[in-house]
Amino acid sequence: MRFTKRLLTTAVIASAVAAPAMAEGTLDKIKESGVIVLGHRDASIPFSYLADGQTPVGYSHDLQLKVVEAVKKQLKMPNLQVRYNLVTSQTRIPLVQNGTVDLECGSTTNNLERQKQVAFSVGIFEIGTRLLTSKTSGVKDFPDLKGKNVVTTAGTTSERLLKAMNAEKQMGMNIISAKDHGESFLMLESGRAVAFMMDDALLYGELAKAKNPAAWVVTGKPQSFEIYGCMLRKDDPAFKKVVDDAIKATYKSGEINKIYSKWFTSPVPPKGLNLNFPMSDELKELVAKPTDKSAEQM
Amino acid sequence: MNYNWDWNVFFKSTGIGSEIYLDWFISGLGWTIAVALVAWIVALIIGSILGVMRTLPNKAAASFAAGYVELFRNVPLLVQLFVWYFLVPDYLPEQTQIWFKQELAPTTSAYISVVVCLALFTAARVCEQVRTGIQALPKGQSAAALAVGFNQAQMYRHVLLPQAFRIIIPPLTSEFLNIFKNSSVASLIGLMELLAQTKQTAEFTANMFEAFTLATIIYFVLNMSLMGLMSWVERKVRVPGMMGGAK
Amino acid sequence: MIRFNNVHKWFKDLHVLKGVNLEVTQGEVVVVCGPSGSGKSTLIRTVNQLETINEGEIWVDGVNVTDPKTNLNALRAEVGFVFQHFNLYPHLSVLENITLSPIKVKGMDKVAAEKQAINLLEKVGLAHKKDAFPSQLSGGQQQRVAIARGLAMEPRVMLFDEPTSALDPEMIGEVLKVMKDLAESGMTMMVVTHEMGFAREVADRVVFVDHGEIIEQAHPESFFTNPQHDRAKQFLRQLLTPMN
Repeated sequence: MRFTKRLLTTAVIASAVAAPAMAEGTLDKIKESGVIVLGHRDASIPFSYLADGQTPVGYSHDLQLKVVEAVKKQLKMPNLQVRYNLVTSQTRIPLVQNGTVDLECGSTTNNLERQKQVAFSVGIFEIGTRLLTSKTSGVKDFPDLKGKNVVTTAGTTSERLLKAMNAEKQMGMNIISAKDHGESFLMLESGRAVAFMMDDALLYGELAKAKNPAAWVVTGKPQSFEIYGCMLRKDDPAFKKVVDDAIKATYKSGEINKIYSKWFTSPVPPKGLNLNFPMSDELKELVAKPTDKSAEQM
Repeated sequence: MNYNWDWNVFFKSTGIGSEIYLDWFISGLGWTIAVALVAWIVALIIGSILGVMRTLPNKAAASFAAGYVELFRNVPLLVQLFVWYFLVPDYLPEQTQIWFKQELAPTTSAYISVVVCLALFTAARVCEQVRTGIQALPKGQSAAALAVGFNQAQMYRHVLLPQAFRIIIPPLTSEFLNIFKNSSVASLIGLMELLAQTKQTAEFTANMFEAFTLATIIYFVLNMSLMGLMSWVERKVRVPGMMGGAK
Repeated sequence: MIRFNNVHKWFKDLHVLKGVNLEVTQGEVVVVCGPSGSGKSTLIRTVNQLETINEGEIWVDGVNVTDPKTNLNALRAEVGFVFQHFNLYPHLSVLENITLSPIKVKGMDKVAAEKQAINLLEKVGLAHKKDAFPSQLSGGQQQRVAIARGLAMEPRVMLFDEPTSALDPEMIGEVLKVMKDLAESGMTMMVVTHEMGFAREVADRVVFVDHGEIIEQAHPESFFTNPQHDRAKQFLRQLLTPMN
């Protein structure tokens, strides 16, 4: 089909135009421009989000700032400028690839598909995919979901796992794919679904926001583990080393525990909610033995 | 940009049963068509009735239709969808509420909400087109119809509407295309139509350019087919001497 | 057949019909003439209530059309009306233009309606155009179809509102010829027109209207040769010798 061919040509040209000369490494680029561009999210609480509508905060962001410090030291540029660039789940990969963003730290899962497009730092967080349900629902674990309405957020690993589980074990669940976590929780709260499957950290975040947090509980055996990482461009070993070393140093010094408790066991802005989410054994393991592998490669 | 192109991605397994990603696009397209087409038929019926009401001498009927148009045209579509999906069901009788929220498959209740929402929203727009079409006709047409003894309903059915609809086929075509584009709001309440499946594929495979390129092509071909369909209808009902007809 | 009893009509402040009294008897052909703006078109449109009136009564074939209880649709089906601008339905063929109301209003079956339509088209000399659309006809042809459309309802009265004013001069004759044939067949007719030749030859009576009043009515011969009223005289002078 001629049209298809033309469209493809256009797409290829567009991507070629969008690509700056990336022959040089990120460090060279930062040195030349005097600016490092950080990718952040707007509502990945408490990883990377806008508390006051302007500058990002969060657990991942604090680690991102550790990297910035290391870059300053490495390049001997104490006055290095930091520029922020908001990314969404759809734009984060292309914006890193085309050089708009130098380093993205948010809640991005390191997986094999993404490794074909970008490089990941050593893991910065580890989640398990679990269930949020009301204390009176009688749901304790995944087998209890047979024949029930279950909500998850569209485009997440949980959705894929839930659908696969439904197909393989013939559980007869009705799976609702909501637009975002807030809406998933609304489905749960309004009685349309009996449980919400998602990354445990995000479930604690939604629970903290609920009108009556005591009515809800996170439960179930984790169906998968995922390691979040910071994203940077592929094939840039010099920059990756600076990033990894900075994060590892934070782990080794134990400073990570302070950062963790600041975001997961203390009240966080803007509303002063406390997630009350103690550090999991999996994360403790990751901190002890940092890796840039995805959970499926472990 | 060091992007890793992979056009075979559509034939890869999604990890759910024996599904491949292409299956997601096909199912998404199916939902898009099912939502848009049904909503369009309902919108056309309700919109035509309202459009006629706006041209009636009866003041109450005319102002009811005018109020409807103001309400449904001025409230954003997203807000309307949330009202139909989250708010309205809470005011149903308890039994119906349980049925709608829990017993009905979530896809079905989302489908009903989005079809109602799009149909009522688009009806307001169709109403205005129908009204314009009727008002564009020469006054002599209604006089001629009344003079042979037609009542009001017959006058609209046999004389005014057949002419008005012929005049407004072009603007109706664009409303028809709009309802297909607007059907993407369905993804916000969990109905996995084409755009939602595209985003999901992009998210899962990290091959977002391929996913969105395929979606672009599908939307393009879909739009072309719809436009072809409408111009076929236009040719089919064309009358010599009326708008666009050959003398 | 038609009787106006002290009919008044106002368009807001404008008094357009000022106490009209007029009777048209069965089989009679009455031509209504008068300067433009005199109210003659309004007058003829009140007969089938395309225009309502504010005061007085109008009776058609023993029915008071101004009574709110009267079924206007039934009345209108009995009264044929021919418009200045023909007002054929542009989306229907000539044949469908004629058969639509007999089928839908009178419930005639399609075959009978088409047979009758073809008969009527033969009478107006347009049987060969039955499948054409209105836009494919000349003005004169369209008006003849419009007359056939009126006749298809088998009316008791035919009303003509300036049926030739919108026509090119060479087409006026063909329309007047059809109207003359109709008059000779005994149809009751009320005709608003400036065609004084037609009035003279076909009409039983000429009614002269000015400023919403009937000024004079007479047999055509005496109206044209010996008009009584000054305004009628002036009207005729202007009509017959427009350059002076």
